[in-house]
Amino acid sequence: MKHQEIDTFSEVLAADVKEAVRAGSASGVSKRREILAADFPDANAIRELAGQIKQHTLEHLDTYLEQAEQKMRANGIQVHFAWDGNSAKEQILEIIQQRKARTICKSKSMASEEIELNDFLTEKGYDMVETDLGEFILQLDEDHPSHVVKPIIHKNRRQIAKTFEKHGLGEYNDEPEVITQRARKHLRQKYLQGEVTMTGGNFISAESGRMVIVTNEGNSRFGLAGAKCHIALIGIEKLVPTDRDLGVMLNLLGRSATGQQLTVYTEFISGPRSESQPEGPEEMHVILFNNNRTEVLASDCREILRCIRCGACMNVCPVYRQSSGHAYRSVYPGPLGAVLSPLLAGKAGYPELADLPKASSLCGACQEVCPVNIPIPDLLLRLRNKAKTEHADKAAIGTPDMTLWSELATHPKVWRTAMKSANLLNGLPYDMMPIAPLRAWTRQRTLPKWQGGKFRNWMKEHQKERNHER
Amino acid sequence: MSDDRSRIFAAIREALQPLQSAGKASPYPDYEVGQLTSLPRLGAEESWQAFARNLAAVNGHAYEKIEECAAFLQEHGVTEGYCDPELIDRLREGLGSAFTLHPEFDRASLERYSFGITKASGIIVESGTIILKDRGTSNRLGALAPWVHVAVLTEEAPIFSTMSEALAELGDDPNVIWVTGPSKTADVEGILIEGVHGPGQQLCLHLS
Amino acid sequence: MSTCLCDAFFDDVARATVEVLEFFGCTVDFPENQTCCGQPAFNGGDWKAARTVARHQAHAFAGDQPVIVPSGSCAAMVFHGNLLAFEKETDLPEMEDFARRTWELCDFLVNGLGVEAIPGRYQAKVAVHNSCHTRGSGTGAAMDKLLRSIDGVEVVKIGEPEQCCGFGGTFSVAFPNISSSMGKIKIENLQQEKPDLVVSGDMSCLMHMRGLAQKAGVDYNAQHVVQLIRDALRNEGAL
Repeated sequence: MKHQEIDTFSEVLAADVKEAVRAGSASGVSKRREILAADFPDANAIRELAGQIKQHTLEHLDTYLEQAEQKMRANGIQVHFAWDGNSAKEQILEIIQQRKARTICKSKSMASEEIELNDFLTEKGYDMVETDLGEFILQLDEDHPSHVVKPIIHKNRRQIAKTFEKHGLGEYNDEPEVITQRARKHLRQKYLQGEVTMTGGNFISAESGRMVIVTNEGNSRFGLAGAKCHIALIGIEKLVPTDRDLGVMLNLLGRSATGQQLTVYTEFISGPRSESQPEGPEEMHVILFNNNRTEVLASDCREILRCIRCGACMNVCPVYRQSSGHAYRSVYPGPLGAVLSPLLAGKAGYPELADLPKASSLCGACQEVCPVNIPIPDLLLRLRNKAKTEHADKAAIGTPDMTLWSELATHPKVWRTAMKSANLLNGLPYDMMPIAPLRAWTRQRTLPKWQGGKFRNWMKEHQKERNHER
Repeated sequence: MSDDRSRIFAAIREALQPLQSAGKASPYPDYEVGQLTSLPRLGAEESWQAFARNLAAVNGHAYEKIEECAAFLQEHGVTEGYCDPELIDRLREGLGSAFTLHPEFDRASLERYSFGITKASGIIVESGTIILKDRGTSNRLGALAPWVHVAVLTEEAPIFSTMSEALAELGDDPNVIWVTGPSKTADVEGILIEGVHGPGQQLCLHLS
Repeated sequence: MSTCLCDAFFDDVARATVEVLEFFGCTVDFPENQTCCGQPAFNGGDWKAARTVARHQAHAFAGDQPVIVPSGSCAAMVFHGNLLAFEKETDLPEMEDFARRTWELCDFLVNGLGVEAIPGRYQAKVAVHNSCHTRGSGTGAAMDKLLRSIDGVEVVKIGEPEQCCGFGGTFSVAFPNISSSMGKIKIENLQQEKPDLVVSGDMSCLMHMRGLAQKAGVDYNAQHVVQLIRDALRNEGAL
């Protein structure tokens, strides 16, 4: 029997990458657990509340999106809508051209990864500079993030030191402090050259038309101090109804992601710089971005749009730990990606990613840690059903056809006979097992001794004795 | 682009129509913000003490005496920097003659400023957070680029007990920043390094 | 509900289930027509096949008696999985009724029958493995309560309890490398305090882990919790 692609990826994954991912993930899990237990008597109640707020928002998205748009415009933000990646790229390009920019300093944005924005603008001759340390390193390596919060969880210091040396950032030195200082020095100059700064957005409050960016490094702040024009690319699902609701999200986001009460910088941005401020953007653009989110909204998996990109699910996922983020062949890895990526791919892209929801033992650890209480295992099950009904071949690999099984299981007499006959398999060499899944099983594990019919016989006798006693 | 907008709204409405027309769309949950406050962090001390404790927990430093702040800066060899011109007169004497205060920030000479002193527009006790607002910050780069940032909390700036209180008073400033300690990263093997793009030292000075 | 696994391999677990339930005063019926809860097909995405089997199972258990299952995984299929699988079906109400009557065994003993303690004796350091399907249910706490009430049982801590053992049904054969890597880590975590015995409410997990261990030539003791309970009662002469 063939194995699934993600399983093969895991098999050949380098041991040091696996260990780096495991260590990073496990540390995230324990930090999250500790801070939630220390700070709140009932963190689960807050998770449920956050889930309800997000679900309500999604189910009234037209209302909140319209409100947010009106408020942002009133605040002096130029609001744009992008149906898909091409539209987003065109509009971003237009703004950059209008500003006659050459250097664009960019903060971490998963949405921009969805549309491969860096490649697009670099090909057009722009100097696109990733400023988040992890993303900066990935850009130098022509690599991609493997985690939504810790983009280089899969790299170690030696690899980074070699990369820096290769790109003229200094002689080989793998001290994390030195690496950081070098990036700080190099990127400062870029910030001040950059005419345009690009960011993503963690939340938008519909009530006030404020967008929120959370970082630890201060890279988005620097972009917003150095540049004269700000472009924010934000998915339409990032809305919450009110400023007060931001409190629910912000109290969960840092704790769930990195075990912090708050990240170092939480920026509430509602417009270009104030009149008295000498530094910062004179104009601000928000691009409200769809890219198939409406497809997800229309599906029976819309709960996945609650996601606030904390990464807790992938930190706790044993399958993610064994395979690392790149195994998911898409922007979003782990349990989040297993649901979101096949759906964001749209009708055309779905078959290629239809196997992702299979890469799970349905353990439910992800749902337990999700700050917005997304029922991920249920969504994975729905997607498996979708794969079966749509005959998605990639999902079917390794899963036995259940037709014979369901025949047996709906014909009790045949079932009982089959169980008794199975005893003949005892003592048979494993590679001679007539049933493919059993052969596959026995490659790695022993099979217990067949005891078909034994319990039923006992039960019959036992019931007779009991009736006599009465 | 307006075509994009119409398409998106039409798609959203179509997606939600079955739910909304059946009256099954989830209601907005009513809740008390009290449950969001971390009582252990709020503590039982007086506000400034609790704030100082929480700021220290993220490796920041809180001072009520300008002389202590000056001592810190001198210890770290940081004596030339940028200062909000509206604060210079108040601070010059307390800091002392060892310090050179520039009232203007020249972005072409970042190295000149080993510290930046700007106004805080408030603090949040439960998280040790310093609130910066755009209208209150004389220069965004001055508050960000130098290795040391001193946020000066003057008498009129509010002291919020909780994040929820602070969220209720974000006001109409276009750029409100909650600063919770010095900048940091753990991107390299999960090892914590302070001082990335933002300051490596974050101070708060309470003037009263 | 004996479950298909016990039907095939673990007759003693089903037997112990009957004996323990009877000890606590229940009259235990065994509908002959039962086969499987339908989970293997459901988890694989073949909800059509799953519904066929689940319907058959529901009919086998028609009536109003509580249905007791010595498996958190199969019980969860009945009271959660079926509600998804039958979402759009006209016989959803029947499946909902079946769901309401179905209990995992330990959950039933403690929260259904009100059992406070097992009047038995069993000398052993025990490591408890909770199957993932018991997340969010009363089973984990119930199993812990029952074990700790047994004279001589010491429940030891295990490493990384939230990490899955890697069985996952057909996951174990579609993702064999990941499944066995997960299993090996789980075995190490369970053996952290060198227990005498690993105990679980689910034979599927134990079958996977023990299968891995035996293939590698390092076996360990493992039992279904109901077997330990039955043996404890026997040791005290109660059974």
